[in-house]
Amino acid sequence: MNFVALFQALDTSQSTNSKRDALIAFIRESDPLESALALEALTDRTRGKRLKPNALKQTAYLAFGEDRWLFEECYSAVGDLSETLAILFADQETSPGTTQPVLADWIHRQEELGRLELGELANELLSLLKAFSKDEAFLFLKLSSGGFRVGVNKGLVHDAVAQAVSMDRAIVEERLMGEFIADEDWLHRLQSPVTQDELDARPLPFLLATPLIKSDLTSLDPSTVLVEYKWDGIRAQLIKTRETIRLWSRGDHDITGQFPDIVDAATTLPSQLILDGEILAGRPDHLQSFSDLQTRLNRKRITYNLLKTHPVFFRAYDVLRSDGEDIRKKPLIYRKGVLATLAVTQSLVTFPNTPEQIAAMRESAREASAEGVMIKRRESHYVSGRKVGHWWKWKLDPMTADCVLIYAQAGHGRRASLHSDYTLGCWTSDGNLVPVVKAYSGLTDAELKAMDRWIRKHTLQKFGPVRQVEPQQVFEIGFEGITRSKRHKSGLALRFPRILRWRQDVGPNDADRLTHFEALMKDSHAV
Amino acid sequence: MVSKKSCLREPLIIRTPEGLYCPKAQAYIDPWRPVDCALITHAHADHARAGSRLYHCALGGEGILKKRLGEHGIQTHAYGEVFLLGGVRVSFHPAGHVLGSAQIRVDDGHSVWVVTGDYKRDPDPTCRLFEPITCDVLITEATFALPIYRWPAMDQVMDRLFSWWDHHVRNHRTPVLLCYSLGKAQRVMAEIRNRSDRSVLVHSAVANLNLEYEQQGIELCPWERATETEKNTSTDLIIAPPQAADSAFLRRFQSTELAMASGWMQVRGVRRRSTINQGFVVSDHADWDGLIRTVKDSGASQVYATHGETRVFTRYLNDCLHINAERLETAFGIEAGTDQ
Repeated sequence: MNFVALFQALDTSQSTNSKRDALIAFIRESDPLESALALEALTDRTRGKRLKPNALKQTAYLAFGEDRWLFEECYSAVGDLSETLAILFADQETSPGTTQPVLADWIHRQEELGRLELGELANELLSLLKAFSKDEAFLFLKLSSGGFRVGVNKGLVHDAVAQAVSMDRAIVEERLMGEFIADEDWLHRLQSPVTQDELDARPLPFLLATPLIKSDLTSLDPSTVLVEYKWDGIRAQLIKTRETIRLWSRGDHDITGQFPDIVDAATTLPSQLILDGEILAGRPDHLQSFSDLQTRLNRKRITYNLLKTHPVFFRAYDVLRSDGEDIRKKPLIYRKGVLATLAVTQSLVTFPNTPEQIAAMRESAREASAEGVMIKRRESHYVSGRKVGHWWKWKLDPMTADCVLIYAQAGHGRRASLHSDYTLGCWTSDGNLVPVVKAYSGLTDAELKAMDRWIRKHTLQKFGPVRQVEPQQVFEIGFEGITRSKRHKSGLALRFPRILRWRQDVGPNDADRLTHFEALMKDSHAV
Repeated sequence: MVSKKSCLREPLIIRTPEGLYCPKAQAYIDPWRPVDCALITHAHADHARAGSRLYHCALGGEGILKKRLGEHGIQTHAYGEVFLLGGVRVSFHPAGHVLGSAQIRVDDGHSVWVVTGDYKRDPDPTCRLFEPITCDVLITEATFALPIYRWPAMDQVMDRLFSWWDHHVRNHRTPVLLCYSLGKAQRVMAEIRNRSDRSVLVHSAVANLNLEYEQQGIELCPWERATETEKNTSTDLIIAPPQAADSAFLRRFQSTELAMASGWMQVRGVRRRSTINQGFVVSDHADWDGLIRTVKDSGASQVYATHGETRVFTRYLNDCLHINAERLETAFGIEAGTDQ
């Protein structure tokens, strides 16, 4: 079994069990280097792009010559660049081999291609694609451009690996986390004893909160929980071993390099320590918005100037290891006690007596630049994953606005050729519609289909794949924050916008005005 | 209305609210409202609508047409047979779409116009192969007029279908193939028969049409109505129309595994948006190459495109092949992705 066969099995199944079975069979039967490289791809560890999307486009342009527009039409109908090229250029008549390993060879070819100058690359890639079957070409391109998704999450992969090698899942997960070396010895290494030192620098599985349901609140005894603000930053583990300091984000990404200022601040902490907390923009007494934090992410170089203009800090709320001792099985209240002895910025904790006090704290969250509250059981252990009954998150209700649909565009992937990406606007003081937000989700499949039909019938103009529609449909959008933005026509950027509701009950003139957003921005302090 | 620059004379076929119309013959082609005289290309519901006084269709298609429209005045014509309507020579020619499907040729002695209806160029054991006809003006469908639509060979598709079928039977699941009950279902069954002694269970919508096909001498694989089996699993493939995907009909069977046979399955996103796990690219429409070949074969100096990707197709014909082409907006114009 090779990666192509695995992909075919995963792609044609929606059941978790059969996906897991396919993964187990693949890990057991395939060449170990093939499975190592597959694991890298499936758990999103492939760093960087071996071929840039532009290289793929140039290849298509080369083949289409003057009829470049025809390729753009194809791309817009398919909704995925790799798939478009695979359909257009691969040999439709051959079936892919499903036994011989492919990945090592593919990666080698991709690296070779990546070294070529663009024109030559396009030529080479085109002749390569012609020798592939459609599935092979699709996978080759998907893997090379670093955007591979096939509906399996990391947890499922770890599950399958654990079952395939008959090992405890928690151990497998801890061993697979962090730096994974994709070579033919990975299965041996996975099953061999690991030194304490190696383990020390690795993150532990995060405990994830579940959303609070109103009925939880009434059944909760306030005297059994503690409450703290929920911060809008990047969840991370700060690890200090005897020799090193590491910062890990939830995707098991080592993000130490992005945040030298946090590493600096951590040098005074005792070693053999793991803190769980949040990376936040600004300073503890003056938080900045998530968009400020985003400017610090995925930078090639962190300049001195950037550290000055976009300061960040780590706010801790839990200790998982202290003085080399794993204290995850100790009650939270004990861990909080340990945290209090450390010289590190930490969350303010309150011990409520009544449900009303919890609600009141949540009400004050926006003022504190938080996005809600966390309710944690005082006696809870630090367990792995999203387990009910330990931590709850109770977010503020989103800010809302009624906006008018202006543009619609076909989606990608599952939504290719359904007009599911909406640009919505609000009214300016002089009676024009200005785009304020682009939203992709929130409607049911049936609503999406109905809207798709409406959009097709009420198109005013087409700009390539984008349709301008009659300004008639109103949607209620929800969002978590609002900041000024120079890049947007409206001068506003919304945080995590989504469609809450299709307002079939109101007309376009009832939609909100720009002044509504200005007022929300003043209220929310986030400027 | 068909633009006048295309033809110095009165156009032989024009657009009316009822559909395509040949004024000289006083006949409509696939009208969507009741008329006196209707020329029908094939019996799919978007082309053959009830209520007209008299229908003309190709020999072989009348049985299906009767099933769809009830007992009506239907006149049949052998492929190639010329009949006169108001002095215009009219004839039906094989379109290769489904049993009894036809292209319609009209000739008033000055110019020849051909309306292709739906068609494909690939061989199909259940109907006559498409015959190219020379004409001055060609009105062609353009459902799949994008280069991404190129149909794989039937051998390859059937190999994949059989291994998918066997795989799920081994895992104690019941394989279900969704496809149009008229044409696609019978084509798949005939292809199964040509390659194996496998048998299938069918939805009643498919069964009724199977009988009609068999009466016309088309050989299908052994089949039985799915409603007649007592079992709740099946090692036979179940063939049902797409509407049956979420119906009581399928809920009788335990752990079904759905696949769809359609040209739209060429695009992964279309399948993944649905609840269907597997897709087989089988289409009764012409693919990109087939459409272009047909335009070239016709030798037409003017082409009108209807149904589907007409915008792309006419631009390609004009810009790249230098053939005059225009879109023919029809009330049954269907955009990509929402076919039938």
